[in-house]
Amino acid sequence: MDFIVEGIQKAFQLIFTLDSEIFSIVLLSLRVSLTAVILASLLGVYLGFLMAVKDYWGKRFSVSLVNTLLALPTVVIGLIVYSLISRRGPLGIFGLLYTPLAMIIGQFILAVPIIIALTHSAVQGIDKRVRNTALTLGATEAQSAWTVIKEARYAVLAAVITGFGRVIAEVGAAMMLGGNIKGSTRVMTTAIALETAKGEFGFAIALGIILLFVAFSINILLHYFQDKRA
Amino acid sequence: MDKLILKVRNLKKIYNNKIVLDIDNLNFQEGKIYAIVGPNGSGKTTLLNILNLLEKPDEGQIFFYDQAITNKLNSDTLEIRRRMTLVNQDPFLFHSTVYDNIAYGLKIRSISSKVQKSRIRSALNIVGLSAFKDRKANQLSGGEAQRVVIARALVIEPEVLFFDEPTANIDQKHIDVVERIIKKIKKEIKTTVIFTTHDLSQAYRLADKVISLLDGKIIKQVPENLLWGEIVEEEDGLKRFKAMGNIKFAIVSEKVGLAYISIDPRDIILSYEQFQSSARNSFLGKITKIIEQNHLVKLEIDIGIPLVVIITRESFFKMNFNLGSKVYLTFKASAVKLY
Repeated sequence: MDFIVEGIQKAFQLIFTLDSEIFSIVLLSLRVSLTAVILASLLGVYLGFLMAVKDYWGKRFSVSLVNTLLALPTVVIGLIVYSLISRRGPLGIFGLLYTPLAMIIGQFILAVPIIIALTHSAVQGIDKRVRNTALTLGATEAQSAWTVIKEARYAVLAAVITGFGRVIAEVGAAMMLGGNIKGSTRVMTTAIALETAKGEFGFAIALGIILLFVAFSINILLHYFQDKRA
Repeated sequence: MDKLILKVRNLKKIYNNKIVLDIDNLNFQEGKIYAIVGPNGSGKTTLLNILNLLEKPDEGQIFFYDQAITNKLNSDTLEIRRRMTLVNQDPFLFHSTVYDNIAYGLKIRSISSKVQKSRIRSALNIVGLSAFKDRKANQLSGGEAQRVVIARALVIEPEVLFFDEPTANIDQKHIDVVERIIKKIKKEIKTTVIFTTHDLSQAYRLADKVISLLDGKIIKQVPENLLWGEIVEEEDGLKRFKAMGNIKFAIVSEKVGLAYISIDPRDIILSYEQFQSSARNSFLGKITKIIEQNHLVKLEIDIGIPLVVIITRESFFKMNFNLGSKVYLTFKASAVKLY
């Protein structure tokens, strides 16, 4: 039992003394996941919007496909991206494996279906009169599309935040593609796994607390935007 | 002669294999007010949407001045779409302030914020909502929202302003306000206004010209007490018209099946007691609305469905009718007109 109590004490000590190693890991986590989510949002919001407003061949199939991809295990993403970017893979010459960029790619793939699916349902839930109102007031097609997204803004933001919550907490792809290299690709989740295995509970618990705090903040934000929507 | 701003030629619109609109020839003159009247489902809204380029017809052509404008992509008609606008029956306000809502049409036209400000001020003034500029749109009542939507249409200074049932979903107080606004638009702005309504007297009050639609076709005049229902042959061998609420009228008809009928409000006799007569239709109803119009009084009477009855001012006062009075309505089977 003692090791847990000691671990927690150590953890708070590390957090309150602003331990530099802890904070470099936290900052890298945020940098990787935020970059992944911003890029995923650009693509995901666009595709989710198109899926909601356009009629095209294979629409139902694409909706099912995206919903299936929501359940994509992170280790499978890790496996696929690994096989593409490892030295022997088709993109091997770029030397991406075990870099932050590789983790960003993995998390991007993880976040895109989430953001597409949630944006799709957000835009579908928007009153059909929005587009017509915009058009009757003289909007171009692009302006009316932007107006629809603006009307769905809180739900779309909630989609982006949900995507962020998913990627900051994932460990499989970060481990396989980043390699957990100290000072280079070690993020919160991979560091927790490693330090726990090493028996460094204080360090692991400190990161765990920060990760929980991030998750908690994300949820508060999410609830805030969901309330705004209502 | 005034210029024709909109022309409709050989227009047909089909939904689910049914012709919902079939208009050979219809002209709208610049600066005039037009009312399109007809019952629900007569094609009024579809016609407005086609004129405003929100929908495309299946056949025929619309001309804006002399330019054919249908069957083109939205991007090709942008310039013309920006010279017209439509105020919907069920107004939609963007989730922002009244000011931002009204500014929308100006912003997308990249009009300078200084000009925006002054135009928005005068539009709010016209609809009498100057104090509402910073209100959130979702805090408005139905009637206020309707007026904001009108202001939002007015700021873009359209050459044609369409109103779809501008007074259908609002209370009497706001109906008066909206009617006043339409009159003001005619007097001060001289925009061509085309509005739909199912209230015939409103149409004649506001419009220079009334266009009647029934089943997608233009007819000479829309009658009052127009009802949709089914003609059935009953066990006694007589034909009756079954309206909503299972109300049956004795009629004179050769055919059976779904049909429109109308009853001239001047052909209905009102009495406190049911009386013996040759007229085969007699119903008990309650007076729900009294509107005085010069020498005549128009009564709305609920017999399960609302019917309009017109009597002279003299009979009205002699009979001492009041709101809520229970009265018998009597009319001949031959007073029911079939379409």
